[in-house]
Amino acid sequence: MEDIKSAGGRVNDALKKHGVDKAGFLVTETETHEFNVEGGEFSLFRTLFDNGLNLTVYHQNKKGSVTTNKLDDASINAAVEGALVSAEAGIADEAYDIAPGQGKQCFHDKGYEPDMERLFERTRELMEDIEKRHPKIIVDQLTVSHKKIHSLYLNTNGTECEVYKGNYSISLSFAGHEGEVTTSLCGTGVMTDNLDTPFVELGTMEELLRDAEAQLVTTPLEGKFEGVIVLTPDSLGSFLYNIIVNFAGDSAILEKTSLWIHKLNEKVADDRLTISIKPSDPRVVDRDHITADGFLEEDYDLIKDGVLKSFMLSLYVANKTGFEREKNSSLSVVIEGGTTPYEELLKGIKKGLIVGRFSGGRPGSSGDFSGVAKNSFLIEDGKITGAVSETMISGNLAEMLMNVVDISKETVVDGGGVLPYIAFDKILISGK
Amino acid sequence: MLDDFISGKKSLFTDGAHMELRAQENRSRRILLSQGNLTANSRSEISGVSARVYKNGVYGFSSMAECSSPAAETVLKAAAENALFMDRHIQKGKGAFPAIPAGQIPVKKAISDTEQKRYLAFCKELDAYIEGTYPKLSSRSVMMTADSMEKILCTSDGYDGHITSPRAHIYFTLNTETEAGEPVELYTPVGGFGNFEDNFSDPALLYPEIDKLYEELMHKREGVHADAGYKTVVLGGFLSGMIAHEAVGHTVEADLVLSGSVAGPNLGKRVGSELVNLVDFAHTAFGKPAPLPVFLDDEGTPAEDAVLIKDGILTGYLNSRESAQHFGMKPLGNARAWSFSDEPLIRMRNTTVLPGKDKLEDIIASVDDGYYLTNTNNGQADLTGEFMFGITMGYEIKKGKLARPILDTTVSGVAFEMLKTVDMVSDEVIWTGSGVCGKKQPMTVGMGGPALRCKIMIGGR
Repeated sequence: MEDIKSAGGRVNDALKKHGVDKAGFLVTETETHEFNVEGGEFSLFRTLFDNGLNLTVYHQNKKGSVTTNKLDDASINAAVEGALVSAEAGIADEAYDIAPGQGKQCFHDKGYEPDMERLFERTRELMEDIEKRHPKIIVDQLTVSHKKIHSLYLNTNGTECEVYKGNYSISLSFAGHEGEVTTSLCGTGVMTDNLDTPFVELGTMEELLRDAEAQLVTTPLEGKFEGVIVLTPDSLGSFLYNIIVNFAGDSAILEKTSLWIHKLNEKVADDRLTISIKPSDPRVVDRDHITADGFLEEDYDLIKDGVLKSFMLSLYVANKTGFEREKNSSLSVVIEGGTTPYEELLKGIKKGLIVGRFSGGRPGSSGDFSGVAKNSFLIEDGKITGAVSETMISGNLAEMLMNVVDISKETVVDGGGVLPYIAFDKILISGK
Repeated sequence: MLDDFISGKKSLFTDGAHMELRAQENRSRRILLSQGNLTANSRSEISGVSARVYKNGVYGFSSMAECSSPAAETVLKAAAENALFMDRHIQKGKGAFPAIPAGQIPVKKAISDTEQKRYLAFCKELDAYIEGTYPKLSSRSVMMTADSMEKILCTSDGYDGHITSPRAHIYFTLNTETEAGEPVELYTPVGGFGNFEDNFSDPALLYPEIDKLYEELMHKREGVHADAGYKTVVLGGFLSGMIAHEAVGHTVEADLVLSGSVAGPNLGKRVGSELVNLVDFAHTAFGKPAPLPVFLDDEGTPAEDAVLIKDGILTGYLNSRESAQHFGMKPLGNARAWSFSDEPLIRMRNTTVLPGKDKLEDIIASVDDGYYLTNTNNGQADLTGEFMFGITMGYEIKKGKLARPILDTTVSGVAFEMLKTVDMVSDEVIWTGSGVCGKKQPMTVGMGGPALRCKIMIGGR
């Protein structure tokens, strides 16, 4: 394998040789160890060694990018030439740019070196915990891995950012099964930088396993009504992603399709809602340190007390539109808990649904969504009355942020972010 | 094209184990013009070598980002050690796979490259046509993707091969607003299997596709929300392709059957009306090349068609060699890997509902009150066969005639219940090969189908 510092130097030499105006690039060396369980049985042990070079050059206000996983001299030269040729074919635009120099930085994150024997034992322990505590669960797929990344970001403005990063990742999909009855597929993923805690106690794993067994008996919902949905941290994440893409992301702002384009510093959500992007939060394990444009990452608020404080824009779209760029390019979403315990929150709901997973069409720019409420339970008069099947929910992403009923006190940490349970009103819930 | 640096390594294979050694390169070229701004102009080449070893019921796998003889030797050794680690800890003690005769699949389609400036000039011309012809659009984008997969495979027992799979697509996305100022969006892909030049010669040939998309968008901006509930619908070919892939195809993947999918207890039983026939084609369908031909999978199994539903009866699963051994079935070449560093998983190839005898216009005319759904942007399915598709274009049907268009919505159902409601099947299959299926790894897939009349849940207001 190639030494990434040497590779970085050789990329710089090639850029100088070709007279490139500006460039930024990331060189990586990655080592992954992974155990796989399929159909409830250990099946595979993988070891992967990879390299990467992601290079973007800017020449005469034109931009071209190349990705390769080869770091030998010939491949580096080919990458620089390829990026330059692509840029020369491109469209000149003064908005293309990289960050000013950020100096020389080096970050050592926890969890860089794996303990494979302990990882295997924790994986086996999780399988035993599931078998012992949840005998009606079949594990569809369990992937447990450790990824070690040594990376070096360099640009022609003198930035040098070296990162040693590693973490364990646990991805579990499973279903309840009894006789010929199978529940919907459930899944969750957690990242951690240590092996101190049994995996079943991380994130929402135990809760989801328990819920899956309770979903072996479901009832199709009859008719339709407007009610409250409670999004669990697992399903809330997919809604937040669609909100970001549709209303705050590069394309939505550049193409002016965002409903929020004229709402910066205006109210777009309930006053109790603050959505922060915080890669430096100690609960976030999978953190980045430098953006794709070469800025050192800082935390920021997307929405603060219901007011839109920022879009999530690359430097190019920021330059193009006059809005401020995003302060980091990670998706480390943190929403702190409210004041109401989850059990109390449920008690306040007359009729609604706890939505464990949402399987829906990709919402368009209007924000309208509809889809199937999976792994979901009906709430009537403040009580969970049973699991439902064949139940759809419809609403609008922008409107639902204004219709928050309550935010749970409890939050769930999955290594990528921190999310509570949130109840939203005025959602159409329909059955057969 | 890749040099063969692995064929000479068979002497290093472990005795008594099933072994695969694979060299692979994935290429990707991408252009995105968003409102005329060039927001993506990129090329990617990812290659390396991997080895997988199966012994005593467990696999070891290793990969390196190098295409060299020493790298091949390193991954063979590491994969064997990983299999040994698993065997030491797990001790399944399973026997070897049933043998597959040796053979060789040669290159069927050479991969050729195109200069980035050619891609960009082509896209700029298309973008200029949209901007000039339809200035009142609120926004537009033109995205070109050309990707290819090339693999050299050597196996201890089974076929070896040098297999290639290039494809190129251009996606048009147009946006406008309703009278009330609400955004409305519609997109369409064009292109298919082959290199860029195989699919695209002259931008002007694509203008009719853009015109048709614009016309549909103008209809859609007058659209209404669907009336949520359980309705009679006519699913267009893209939708029945999604049924074939999402609602049935995934449930019959043998790894999901082992995880408890609804296909397990339904093998040999009625799961659809007698009009429903469903096949996962390998490389040739209806006497023509399938959208994404697969001749050999990554376990060395030569690809054959898999008949999944015959006259409404569930007849088979999609298998790897391991699952085929478990179920006593014949593997038909469904184990495929996305990247050099990925292990083969059970994947679909070209999955379709077979055509029937009805004419589309007769099917629409037979519906008193329902919907004709023509376009989709995504879909998901479940172990239970419960599925969901996003609907991006469709029309009401009132008294046998198409009425108002509808806005974006979602349909859902339970596959083996919904297929029993199919009572008309059109005589024409519509294919698409632009799909990417997600299942631990991405994978290119083809899907298609005729129009189906059935009952389904539709979301809306």
